[in-house]
Amino acid sequence: MADVTTTAGLGPGPTASRRAVRGPRWLSQVTKFARRRTLGFAGGVVVVLMLLLAVFAPIVSPYDPEESSFLDQLKPPSREHLLGTDQFGRDVMSRLIYGAQTALVVGFGASVAGCSAGAILGLVGAYKGGKTDLLLERLNDVILSFPLIILAVAVVAALGTGLLNVIIAITIPIIPRVARVIRSSGLTLRQMQYVEAARALGVSDTRIIFRHLMPNVVAPYLILLSAFLGQAILLESSLSFLGLGVAEPKPAWGLMLRGAGVQFLEQAPWLAIAPGVAISAAVFAFNLLGDSLRDAFDPKLRV
Amino acid sequence: MGITRRSFLQSAAAMLAATACSTAATPASKPADTKPADTKPAGKEPATAAPTAPPKPATEAKPSGDAKPTAAAQPAAAGQPRSGGELQFIVSAEPPSFDAHRETTFAMLHPTAPHYSLLIKFDPDKYPEVMPDLAESWDISADKLTYTFKIRDGVKFHDGSPCTARDIKVSHDRIINPPEGIVSARKAQYAAVESVEAPDPRTVVFKLKYPSASLLSLLASPWNQIYSADKLASDPKFPEKNVLGTGPFKFVEYVPGSHWVGQKHPDYFQPGLPYLDGFRATFIRESAAQVAAVRGGRAHVEFRGFTPPARDDLVRALGDKITVQESPWVSNLLVVFNTEKKPFDDPRVRRAMNLALDRWEGSEALSKITFVKPVGALVRPGSTFARPDAELEKMEGFSRNVAAAREEARRLLREAGVPDGFSFTIKNRDIPQPYESNGVFVIDQWRRIGLNATQVQLEASGYVSDLRSGNYDVCIDFIADYLDEPDLQLSKFISSERSPFNYGRYQDAELDQLYDQQTRETDPEKRKQLVWRFENRVNNDQAYAFPILWWQRIVPHASTLQGYRVLPSHYLNQDLTNVWLSE
Amino acid sequence: MQGYIVSRILLMIPTLLGVAIITFILLRMVPGDVVQLKLAGDGGNVAAEVIQAERARLGLDKPLLAQFFDWIWGAVRFDFGLSMWTGRPIIQEVLIRLELSVQLTIMATLIATVLALPLGILAAVKRDTWIDYAVRIFSIAGLAIPSFWLGIVLILVLLIAFQYSPPLSFTPFFKDPVENLSQLIWPALAVGYRYSAVATRMTRSTLLEVMREDYVRTARAKGLRESLVVVRHALRNAFLPVVTVIGLEFAFLLGGLLVTEQVFNLNGIGKLMVEAVLRRDYTMTQALILLVASVFVLVNFLVDLLYVWLDPRVSYR
Repeated sequence: MADVTTTAGLGPGPTASRRAVRGPRWLSQVTKFARRRTLGFAGGVVVVLMLLLAVFAPIVSPYDPEESSFLDQLKPPSREHLLGTDQFGRDVMSRLIYGAQTALVVGFGASVAGCSAGAILGLVGAYKGGKTDLLLERLNDVILSFPLIILAVAVVAALGTGLLNVIIAITIPIIPRVARVIRSSGLTLRQMQYVEAARALGVSDTRIIFRHLMPNVVAPYLILLSAFLGQAILLESSLSFLGLGVAEPKPAWGLMLRGAGVQFLEQAPWLAIAPGVAISAAVFAFNLLGDSLRDAFDPKLRV
Repeated sequence: MGITRRSFLQSAAAMLAATACSTAATPASKPADTKPADTKPAGKEPATAAPTAPPKPATEAKPSGDAKPTAAAQPAAAGQPRSGGELQFIVSAEPPSFDAHRETTFAMLHPTAPHYSLLIKFDPDKYPEVMPDLAESWDISADKLTYTFKIRDGVKFHDGSPCTARDIKVSHDRIINPPEGIVSARKAQYAAVESVEAPDPRTVVFKLKYPSASLLSLLASPWNQIYSADKLASDPKFPEKNVLGTGPFKFVEYVPGSHWVGQKHPDYFQPGLPYLDGFRATFIRESAAQVAAVRGGRAHVEFRGFTPPARDDLVRALGDKITVQESPWVSNLLVVFNTEKKPFDDPRVRRAMNLALDRWEGSEALSKITFVKPVGALVRPGSTFARPDAELEKMEGFSRNVAAAREEARRLLREAGVPDGFSFTIKNRDIPQPYESNGVFVIDQWRRIGLNATQVQLEASGYVSDLRSGNYDVCIDFIADYLDEPDLQLSKFISSERSPFNYGRYQDAELDQLYDQQTRETDPEKRKQLVWRFENRVNNDQAYAFPILWWQRIVPHASTLQGYRVLPSHYLNQDLTNVWLSE
Repeated sequence: MQGYIVSRILLMIPTLLGVAIITFILLRMVPGDVVQLKLAGDGGNVAAEVIQAERARLGLDKPLLAQFFDWIWGAVRFDFGLSMWTGRPIIQEVLIRLELSVQLTIMATLIATVLALPLGILAAVKRDTWIDYAVRIFSIAGLAIPSFWLGIVLILVLLIAFQYSPPLSFTPFFKDPVENLSQLIWPALAVGYRYSAVATRMTRSTLLEVMREDYVRTARAKGLRESLVVVRHALRNAFLPVVTVIGLEFAFLLGGLLVTEQVFNLNGIGKLMVEAVLRRDYTMTQALILLVASVFVLVNFLVDLLYVWLDPRVSYR
């Protein structure tokens, strides 16, 4: 993708400018984004689609996702069941749609919580410096040097399975990774004049961090968020594979893939294809979106 | 449940030549014949199933009840047993230690059983009858209080030292009255035993406090491996890390996490046996990898068994290179209530939840996706003390008229003051098959009477811990025994003060009394009545706990593997003495 | 420089101590214990007294602080004690699995590097063309497929297409390289592909960044051929971050392959670690986490040293 600094020859094309004249401003920006960062735009479209599905799940899904019907076990895709049925006769399409809810709740839950906590810790470390910074850095080191999945396994083992616990397990490893990136952005901000001015005026530390530093790390924050969203969805499926994810009969993509997906891979491949495509598409989409955001806002950021 | 007589005879004929040592193990029997026997199988139909046909793909509905075996999938014409070859089998978990007296996992038995002998063992062809192993014959006194075993002469441990009555006495003392610091996992099962004596090197005498209906079966326990008395004297924990037995195979190596190797013991006490040159057990945890290993020809078998879809995939891919043996299993899944928690302290609520289950439909549907099938009460359907289906259907929760049962369930819920249902969590193991599938099944069934259950799945350690400490509302528990024996299966349900693995947290004097009566009752017919009364109290009157479905053991193996019969327990018949490879 | 090295080494101590403390506490917070699981886990019917006695034998009834100091004192002397599950020495259990894990890690890192460098360079040089897009889709796909899924499908493809399944147990490379590789090449490919994704992206973006630097522009302005510019100027300087990523991945892979090891049935450190946690084998889990953390910290340190050594612009404190 083009970087912001190398825009030669990539100015708004004729289509974009025409739209810009006619449509509202945001539309023109979207169009511009679509033209200049096609992959990222495609990712965005998938993300929006997923959001819509999740929000309107009760309306769009044709069946109750947890309703078993033993007369309809393992039926291939048909008019009644567009994506077939699973081993309990549950409608795969409905489970997939409700699964988007689970994926997004886990994805957003873990990455928002992890990125926010990480950002705050990173900024506090960068701003305070000295012993606080040293302590936070050590703590980051400690968590970073834990094997990621083992940490998740231990957390889920300690708290039990369930949506919230899975989110917590995925959140923890995200925190130090975000803290590290945000801290380095924060270090340069600390030297800025307006920050020093605020401090001289006796503005409290909390206020400086939240009012003056925070708005300046929004770009890296968003980039990290979209990157970890995909990771979180993926990690949820790995936890499911190890039996530590969301529990049946709750619909979740990772669960669908590891349970029936593996068991009936040959006899009922539709059971694996649907959630497999869904997971990959979602992770793909978040990654593409994240990449494009990075290229657009902060090309030097390493995620 | 059992298999039809016709199919049994068919398969029995195929297995015959492969079967050595099939002398009936009636009391005071003669030493076992060591040549491949040419006797006819007993006319009596054993409870085990025979090798069955490659089943139809699980997606097709099968008639409920048993799969009908067809002749097409008999083991390849048996012929004369052939010596040589190394058996490759898979074990899906790993032994914590090698000490059978203290361990409880099949993962310990599958690799070690070929190295050891027992006093007596189950006859694979006539299960649940027993046959000689180290004991060549035995005698039971008229008052049923003294069991005298005559021990084989000239049996040697793998290091060349002789095995005598003393080794057998010391090994059983270690199980029944373990010395300080030694754990015996099944000590409680031998409560009737007063003493074990070895008056001379070829005689072992068991004296009982009271007559026991189950003693002979319990002495054939695959866990009662005979260890060297000398080694135990110098180090009571010797068997935990060392393997020294009198069995058909010598120990070669164990690489933790990877594999276990055994080699033919040339001085085995049955001449000409074993047929195999050796065996190699590979530890594979992941079920997809296990199936791939059998399919790719890297392993002959996983003795515990696979799921129906795995079976169907193997049969489809390998055709007659694979033989499927199925058997009902002395294992089941139970719904157990924490009777200290509301509303599960109310028998009406528990009964309603029992009535909500349609086990017959469940059996048909779940047997396509996981290894459960037989519908039964607290003892395995088809076993000696079980009731026939007609009787079973009269029990609460086993009726074929499900609509009426659910109506009754709703009535009970109204009576109990919860007409609109309620929400609760059900704790279950995190193992997909058969635990998770059955969890999904009961949750769905309970939805139909207005109850809303959420499944919480725990890995083994957290699961045991929560169940033992009562940290649950409702749980899915299980029974996994090594033989059909009411003493074992029913012990789960007596007062929790007496039974550490009754997690229902209730005390019930009536059940305790019935249990004690049945264990002393040596008349099978009278004992059966006591067992049924016990079942009625647990399942119908109180519904402290009730079975969901019984397990169905499905063992697809390479057709070259011969002389092995699947029994209703994966703990049994693993010594590999008569197993051979046709190529 | 020496001062820097010494201070970096000293800084490892609090990190590892922190890891030790958190591991210790976390494990004790997890309900269940090894004795209960061993004796009652498989439907065993064992009295509470027996379980208590076994706990006492393993020292689980001692005060937590005493348990902790016993362990740390042992760990400092490289005496990790016995596994609570098997009763065998932990060092022995780890050594059995270490060879496989190290080899798999090296192979996967090699594959990742071999894939990532040319692809990353290609994507950067042909930026915004279909080649760039294809490379990026290929590499993101590696990240978007759950690792267990990639493994299971790979195994199944081998089975269905070639009726082939890899050997079941590990043979050391120097004993029988063919047998060894026919087991490890598949997981190495699966993991290598996955991790090449990270390295490809890193190569591409650092290269793009470097190519905007003055000295590259100067080189271009001097009329050097584009390929020469890339190879001689840009690549050399883009190399460092890529090395970092590869180094850190290496450290991560050593203990982080538990899902892959499970799917391909490999007897490695990751599988041992997950089993140890699930079995509540405290001593084993503690030792393994400390081992993996030490490797991670050490590799981190080495990568930093490499920076200092290779790039004179990086200053050290």
